[in-house]
Amino acid sequence: MIDAPPVAAGGFRTALRRLRRNPAAIVSAIVLLMIVFACFPGAPLWVSHACNHGPSDQNIQGTITENGHKVPVVRNDGTPIGPGLRACYLLGADSNGRDLFVRILYGGRISLEVGFISAIVCVTVALVLGILSAYAGGVTDSAISRLLDLIWSFPVYLLAVALATAFAVHGIAVGPIHVASTSLAIPIVVIAIVYVPYVARPIRGQVLSLRRMEFIEAAVASGAGPVKIMLAELLPNVASMALVFLTLIVATNILTEAALSFLGVGVPLLTPSWGNIIEQGYQTIVTAPWLTIAPGLAIMITVVSLNVLGDALRDALDPHARLRIRN
Amino acid sequence: MRRILISVAVLLLAVSAGCGSGSSSSAGSAGAPVDGGTLRGAIPDNPDHLDTGISFAVEGWELLEATNNGLLTFKKAGGGQQSVIEPDIATAMPVVTDNGRTYTFQVRKNVMFSPPVNRAVRPSDFQYAIERLFHVGSPGVGFYTNIVGADAYAAHHASHISGIVANDKTGTIAFHLVKPDGAFLDDMAIPFAFAVPTGMPYKDISTDPQWRVATGPYMVKTYTPKQQIVLVRNPNFHQWTAASPKGHVNEVDITIGTTPEQAVNETIDGQLDWYMEAVPPDRFTALRAQYPKQTFLFPRNNVTYFSMNTRKPPFDKLAVRQAVNYAIDRNALVKIFGGQGIPSETVLPPGFGSSYQEHHLYPHDLAKAKQLIQQAGATGASVQIWTTNADPAPKAAEYLASALSQIGLNVTGVKAVDDSVYWDTLLTQSGDPQIAFNHFDQDFPEGEDFIDTTLNGEHIVNVGNNDVSNTDDPTLNAMIDRTKLMPLGAARNAQWAKIDAYFMQHDAGWAPFLHLEQATFVSPRLHGLIFTGSYFELIPEMWLSKQ
Repeated sequence: MIDAPPVAAGGFRTALRRLRRNPAAIVSAIVLLMIVFACFPGAPLWVSHACNHGPSDQNIQGTITENGHKVPVVRNDGTPIGPGLRACYLLGADSNGRDLFVRILYGGRISLEVGFISAIVCVTVALVLGILSAYAGGVTDSAISRLLDLIWSFPVYLLAVALATAFAVHGIAVGPIHVASTSLAIPIVVIAIVYVPYVARPIRGQVLSLRRMEFIEAAVASGAGPVKIMLAELLPNVASMALVFLTLIVATNILTEAALSFLGVGVPLLTPSWGNIIEQGYQTIVTAPWLTIAPGLAIMITVVSLNVLGDALRDALDPHARLRIRN
Repeated sequence: MRRILISVAVLLLAVSAGCGSGSSSSAGSAGAPVDGGTLRGAIPDNPDHLDTGISFAVEGWELLEATNNGLLTFKKAGGGQQSVIEPDIATAMPVVTDNGRTYTFQVRKNVMFSPPVNRAVRPSDFQYAIERLFHVGSPGVGFYTNIVGADAYAAHHASHISGIVANDKTGTIAFHLVKPDGAFLDDMAIPFAFAVPTGMPYKDISTDPQWRVATGPYMVKTYTPKQQIVLVRNPNFHQWTAASPKGHVNEVDITIGTTPEQAVNETIDGQLDWYMEAVPPDRFTALRAQYPKQTFLFPRNNVTYFSMNTRKPPFDKLAVRQAVNYAIDRNALVKIFGGQGIPSETVLPPGFGSSYQEHHLYPHDLAKAKQLIQQAGATGASVQIWTTNADPAPKAAEYLASALSQIGLNVTGVKAVDDSVYWDTLLTQSGDPQIAFNHFDQDFPEGEDFIDTTLNGEHIVNVGNNDVSNTDDPTLNAMIDRTKLMPLGAARNAQWAKIDAYFMQHDAGWAPFLHLEQATFVSPRLHGLIFTGSYFELIPEMWLSKQ
């Protein structure tokens, strides 16, 4: 929740200079780039050059040769092979005989996609609602504010689980638009919805203060219409705030995706994501802990990097640190 | 179809080929049973009910077997013997007359209800027990609708079920059936037909000590939901035959709310003797290696399978259904179940004696499966798989998705539905899945229970439809109907085996893949474990060594 006025407009170039002088930001940006590289171009490269197993290829009855001995990928009692220095099954296999390392690479794609897309959707919707609410005022402001209050009044995970469970049966059907229950769009929409109030409210607060400023009055006096004022005058002035939110919300959304998938209401079953890889490994945490620890570490590293980068971005855009997120 | 609490059978129970101990086993060192001591048990959650008229889950029946009795009982033995029916409160097996339509029992005179009722069991108590089912929303009503007058009684057109004639003076009770039914003896051996004192309220008496009375060796002293169940010896019990064991331990204290992992740790630490659920599959191998005399794999009367909806394309084509049977590697699926199951193509489980005859119609053959899909013109057909979210069912569904993709079907997704609503959803026609993870646990150990319930097309209904595959083959239906009329025994068992094979060959609405086993881990001082498909471990047979 934002509890202070937002950053001043402009100064992106200055902010970038500040960012470059922040070693933590540089390290986290590099780590993030490495993760993105590993998950996107890296995943198919690994599959085609190191190990010919796709993320969904199951090899329950297969064997690999280690030290001259044939070792089953999954033992008769269901225990999968563990991590080892080998091209295939570097991090071991899961109960279905799938290569865990490959699944983490491909799962990262999904987790990052869900995190980023839901954050973009969330911030976009929040910008529209926040600016519209504050600028229009009156009934529009009341209606939007109460809607945000309603969403805010539910615990985030409770609301997310409820929505995801409801959509899991018949998908989303709004007029001609129909989204299948097994679509990746479901978790993206759910995650985006539950965080809208957390972004829209501070944006509304910022716009409320901006609309009384002289440059807005000047725009009105020059005959600019409401749409033009909102798009040309207000939006640029809250853009830096939205950018900071975007970075921080991505990390939150990745965690939410993991939590929802762990609870079985997130990313569809056949699509690997870090969350559902953990969920699938959790049942064997005593005998095959790597199935839970490895994707957990991937989430941790990504989220820490995003948070450090988000903090650095905030410091760069708002050196007086007026913008704060309280969890 | 009875289900286990929590992740039910599927989640925590299972079993495997080649590594099971016998179905009847004694934990630790053998020797003569010792009487006395307090058995420390645990359960993850409340049993469904402690009311013979309402309970329909394994945990409830497991406790009620120790406290209550019927006219008949299943033999207190494991393996194929568990389906043998013996007299219990009846003095002998019933006299069957009227071409198999009338069963007359003579009731023992010396069987007493526990305090506070403190009187002898009368024939009219059995009549009352069955009539009470129709007033308490019992899931067991369906077992007794073949009794003459049951329908009229259910419709409130009669004050009693006319087909039950109880005579307390002569000590006899006769049941007149609408049509012959060989499995009626099984119906009389399950808890729904156990004696209850006339006048017992038409409500769940699980927590009502005034009416929670026993006839068996133990009685429920206290039941505090979410906390504890305590069984103590029934002071009015006197053993009448070997079929009514007197029990060995003096008391059974069952803690409610113990998780499977917690139970394993407490058993290792010596704080727990017996857990009413299975060992987590991933722990069992290590436990078996470290505590070989305390670990057991007991075959359950279960079949686990993928049901294919014969009314929905592409599974409306026999070739596609057969292709699925060829496509799955049953040994691989057993591994997904922690290695705790017997790979199989049969509907009926090994515990059903001679009814179980493994057929080998579908060896794992992807090429053959693919060919059948092509012949059926189903290549590229869209398929969505349904599964409960209880582990390891989703993993089995994912395996199936992979196999179906390999044979040319287009898997659009796996829908994992919460276990609490999955089974009811599955039994409803509207929104029925194309193909789904499924399993069936016995109500009573006889072929009719599995085959008539799940494969007889005459029973297809819109809600509560156990024939999930909508199999409706007139030839199969006629075979089932004829077999149901036969008396229990080898000839009838042979017919069930034949029907099992016929279904898999000519209808193939299922792709059965394993029969689950129960992984059990007990304390070194617990002995006398006898496992049956009906009641799991028999409490009255358990005894504790002096340590």
